[in-house]
Amino acid sequence: MKIVPGTGSPVHPDISALIPWYVNGSIGERDRRRVDAHLAQCAHCRDELTREQWVYRSMNADTAVEYMPAVSLNRLQARLDAADGSESADVGEAAEAAAKPRRRSMPWQGLMAASVAVMAVALSLLAADRWLQYRARAAAPPDYHTVTISETRATDEAIRAVFSPTTTLSELQSILDEAQLRIVSGPTEAGVYSLAVKSRRPVGSSLALLRSHAQVRFAESTTSAPIEPLATP
Amino acid sequence: MSKNSAKEHDTELLAAVAAGSRRALEELYLGYHRRLARFLSRFTPRYENVEEIINDTFMIVWQSAKDFRYASQVSTWIIGIAYRTALKSLRRQKNHSAARSLDDLPEQTIDPTGDTEVQDWLMHGLNQLPMEQRLTLELAYHMGHSLEEIAAITECPVGTVKARMFHAREKLRMYLPSLSGAGSESTAGGG
Repeated sequence: MKIVPGTGSPVHPDISALIPWYVNGSIGERDRRRVDAHLAQCAHCRDELTREQWVYRSMNADTAVEYMPAVSLNRLQARLDAADGSESADVGEAAEAAAKPRRRSMPWQGLMAASVAVMAVALSLLAADRWLQYRARAAAPPDYHTVTISETRATDEAIRAVFSPTTTLSELQSILDEAQLRIVSGPTEAGVYSLAVKSRRPVGSSLALLRSHAQVRFAESTTSAPIEPLATP
Repeated sequence: MSKNSAKEHDTELLAAVAAGSRRALEELYLGYHRRLARFLSRFTPRYENVEEIINDTFMIVWQSAKDFRYASQVSTWIIGIAYRTALKSLRRQKNHSAARSLDDLPEQTIDPTGDTEVQDWLMHGLNQLPMEQRLTLELAYHMGHSLEEIAAITECPVGTVKARMFHAREKLRMYLPSLSGAGSESTAGGG
């Protein structure tokens, strides 16, 4: 920002205020034309533009960090599950609280007995309804999975592995391609991937290759069959 | 996907979220995660904090989707929630940990000539800014939002955003004197 000596103000404050939006490309067409026309004749503002472009480029320098959101999403799903659970509990408590005063206000013994009977019927209907809902939910395939329920192991899972958190998606894919493996499921909350073999390559060979990579923190076979020894060169 | 169809897709997803679809929420989450994570990681180096802010944001999206009136773009609404969540979280962190101050930094200034060391110094300069000014600059330069979008995201008048941007640039200029223009002639255009 070119400053008027002794004032602390930019030389052309109106144009200066538009420069950030000119630099990030979000400026309107009319203002853009105005800035263009001004820049053509003002060296001070051209300098300011150059410096602002430097800040813009520097702030957008690629850090090459890639995030794998699956684990974070699992945690969100677990929070949503917990929130759903507490809402159901609240509804139950509210219903109970609403029922209590009515029960206390019954003045006659006979009516009290009738009320208990009605409540018993209502409760059994509610229980039956809950049971049917539970059965329906259990039968339907879930559209998400939580981190608190252990998944059954996929039938073709051969290896479980944990990769360094700094491993990018492209690095992960490259390692798996090299080892002729594919992801069956994962990562779990602990970052564990279940992997299956893609070719006839022996599991032991893929395992050894995984372990040779610095990005692989941990790798183990999950097959019950003994791992084939690696052919010595 | 073009910008317009992306907006329409976001709108459809949010309508599905409002109707209780977890799948739609998941798709929205995966669509925004990278953008938000890269933005938030500029304020807090710990991924746990980034994840917490993103997940808090999407908890609010889940709970409030039915109240969204489509007066703004879905992206502006979601980033606005993330902005306010981040602001709260970062203020809390600042209260719990030693805030970075000018005293933590060497008493020298730098002439930006374009290497990683200079990037670090710029980062230090950005860290000196008050949080609202820093966020304004990041929303403009890192996220590419317009003045009006930032006003909507931060729920501030346009004039406030202009003022924050002005002060942020002025403070950066004082921290990195080569940005002031005082040395621009000698730096062949300021780099």
